Amino acid sequence: MPEVFIDNERYEFEGDHMALQFILDQGMEVPFFCYHPSMSIPANCRQCMVKAGQYIKDDETGEYELDENGERKIRWFPKMQTSCALKLQDGMVIQTQETSEEAERAQKDTLELLLINHPLDCPICDQAGECPLQIQTYKYGPEGSRFEVKKVHKPKRVELGPRVTLDAERCINCTRCVRFTEEISETNQLTIVSRGDKNYPMTAPNQEFDDPYSMNTVDICPVGALTSTDFRFKARVWEMNQTPSIDITNGKGCNIDLWTRDNQVLRITPRQNKAVNDYWMPDEGRSAYELFNENRASRPSIKLDGSNQSNTSWNNAIETFAETIEAHSGDDVLVIGSPHASVEENYALNKFFNLLGASNARFTPHIIDGYGDGFLITDDQAPNTNGCRLLNLNETDHKDLATAISKAKVCIILSDNLVGRKVVAASDLGNTYTISFATNMTETAKASDLVIPITCVAEHAASYVNIDGRIQRSFPAKETKYTNRRLNLEMSEGRLDRYGTNFDNWVSEEHKVDCLPLWDFLNKLAERLGLDYHVNHSRTILAEISSAIPSFENVTFEKMDEQQGIQLNLDNQKIKQK
Amino acid sequence: MAEQELHFTDEELNEIEKIKAKFPTAKAATLRVLWVAQKKYGHVEPEVQALVAKTLDLPESHVHGVASFYTQYYKEEMGKFVLDVCTCLSCQLCGGYDVLHQIEDRLGIKAGETTDDGLFSVQEVECLGACGYAPMVQITNGVYANNLTEEKVDKLLENLKNGKMPEFESMVMRQNEKRIKAATE
Ligand code: SF4
Ligand code: FES
Ligand code: FES
Repeated sequence: MPEVFIDNERYEFEGDHMALQFILDQGMEVPFFCYHPSMSIPANCRQCMVKAGQYIKDDETGEYELDENGERKIRWFPKMQTSCALKLQDGMVIQTQETSEEAERAQKDTLELLLINHPLDCPICDQAGECPLQIQTYKYGPEGSRFEVKKVHKPKRVELGPRVTLDAERCINCTRCVRFTEEISETNQLTIVSRGDKNYPMTAPNQEFDDPYSMNTVDICPVGALTSTDFRFKARVWEMNQTPSIDITNGKGCNIDLWTRDNQVLRITPRQNKAVNDYWMPDEGRSAYELFNENRASRPSIKLDGSNQSNTSWNNAIETFAETIEAHSGDDVLVIGSPHASVEENYALNKFFNLLGASNARFTPHIIDGYGDGFLITDDQAPNTNGCRLLNLNETDHKDLATAISKAKVCIILSDNLVGRKVVAASDLGNTYTISFATNMTETAKASDLVIPITCVAEHAASYVNIDGRIQRSFPAKETKYTNRRLNLEMSEGRLDRYGTNFDNWVSEEHKVDCLPLWDFLNKLAERLGLDYHVNHSRTILAEISSAIPSFENVTFEKMDEQQGIQLNLDNQKIKQK
Repeated sequence: MAEQELHFTDEELNEIEKIKAKFPTAKAATLRVLWVAQKKYGHVEPEVQALVAKTLDLPESHVHGVASFYTQYYKEEMGKFVLDVCTCLSCQLCGGYDVLHQIEDRLGIKAGETTDDGLFSVQEVECLGACGYAPMVQITNGVYANNLTEEKVDKLLENLKNGKMPEFESMVMRQNEKRIKAATE
């Protein structure tokens, strides 16, 4: 097998590899900026220099030539090589900054050059704390600069488009953003203008950077040149807490991270998953954080007279709910599951009311034909349509659902804004007693007689099946009134979470929503109704699903975590549904 | 200038087709086609860049990037004669700034400006590779006027006003003059 020698260690390799990626794959490091594993390699930042050469082989004998000490002779390449663009060859010798002073020096000098006109305004820069330029300058850069002349000034605070703001002085012209629009989103909206020390990325004149994926350039910009207009100056990255989750704004289920501070989600960024979204996500998915913070259903509410809703206690909500159920037979109760809710919630809800004699829950997909783009934006506006299908909920179109509602005496809706998305009109709900399990105070929740606030994807661990049949799960990122990150071992703790107490001004109760996971509420309701139903956790529900429904066989949170989601067999399901 | 007014004539489009045929991709023809456009309009303002992009079926951003990279493409309307006065080292030592100030004085404009009659633009440029015949001026990306003196500059302006471009001169380095003279005699 071909071999390479990196920092005096021997490695075997097969196929084509670039030195930088190979080195990174071995868990070692070489600093770099312009290289991105999912884009072309322009080798323009010059940061990834290594010293490289080749052991000399005798063409005839095939033996390595040895020097007088019996060591293999090396023919060094005449100049430092950019490792990102250096293809591994059999017998190649590479010395990184770890073993070669020359490589170390080359990297240091490159950084000094990159920083000549850089404003060094880290204290007011959003990228600080997650900035490759900052990190690598600390690790590999010079102590100071020998360039003490006036810096070149470039445009600042340029609104490239509705969502991205450029500070051209911070740009190192790595062209990652330009390549992104050329190779990934294919809108070709960006280019580098001007030249020499005056260049920076820009759109064509009179054009906007309104690419539906524009904010990915903010993520991949290795400096603070491109910043999110929305998130700018909101928080320092080290104050926030990062929790893995799933994008719930469409059917793709992009893997994301939720960034929270004091239980507010402040931004959403993509998390790499080769099988789903690679490193990217649509801009739309990033504004979902508003759904998690604002207009939440907090504390149950009930319609007392006419159309006025008012908050009520959990006890009263449970009592009212139970009385309503007791006053009606199972046939009169219509249960509507939701492609916007998780697998566990849909299952738990359906099972609970089946036990009470209601028929199988219905759901209606939320599809906008032609909305998708074949990449990460889908026609499907909900994260779990396939989940509902695999759970064998009764897929119902708009018309049939409206008819079913008109016949029902009690209608139970699981977080789905049926009114807002025009499946039914608010007036359609008028003749039946409507109970909404709601995350947000949508039109549907407002039109309901009883609103039970439940946790959203940012507050619970639950799974969602995307349009391709991949089941993936969320983690609780935000505390509710009834959870505590120090006690809940599933929740991560940011620096401020760890060191904050109720007496610190950065800690407040306000951002904790007064809601319960659906299953917790159902436990309480079961207790009141004397129903034999109890689950501890969404994990228990999933275990039950996986043993009850063949499509979910062997699906566990652990396996999803290990494999970044599990591909389910959708075909299986289609046959069954017919 | 409204975009719909701009278009290439059939003749120009023919020329562009010929240019494209010389390159493997349309993208590679960007530079040459920008020249065709600049020859026609005297500049490559954003609308002209857009026309080039449309004609070559390329992203506008790309054409814009290329046009902005090269100073020879005029990104705004310029005078009929663009005087590039070299003030880089050799020219500076030999009186480049005197030439610049003289021109500014005579035309009543500053470097970077265009006269009201649209005849002249003046700009300061870096070395144009004619250091041996400093100080010098380049006229509209073309002919060089070399070894300038006060009289020569006045004469040059006079001629240009009358529409007379200086001839292209083949230059010989001063230090070589004697040797060449001896050799040819
Ligand atoms: S803005 Fe950022 S990503 Fe774009 S070229 Fe500059 S440094 Fe690179
Ligand atoms: S990462 Fe290799 S040159 Fe930029
Ligand atoms: S310095 Fe003026 S031409 Fe070189």
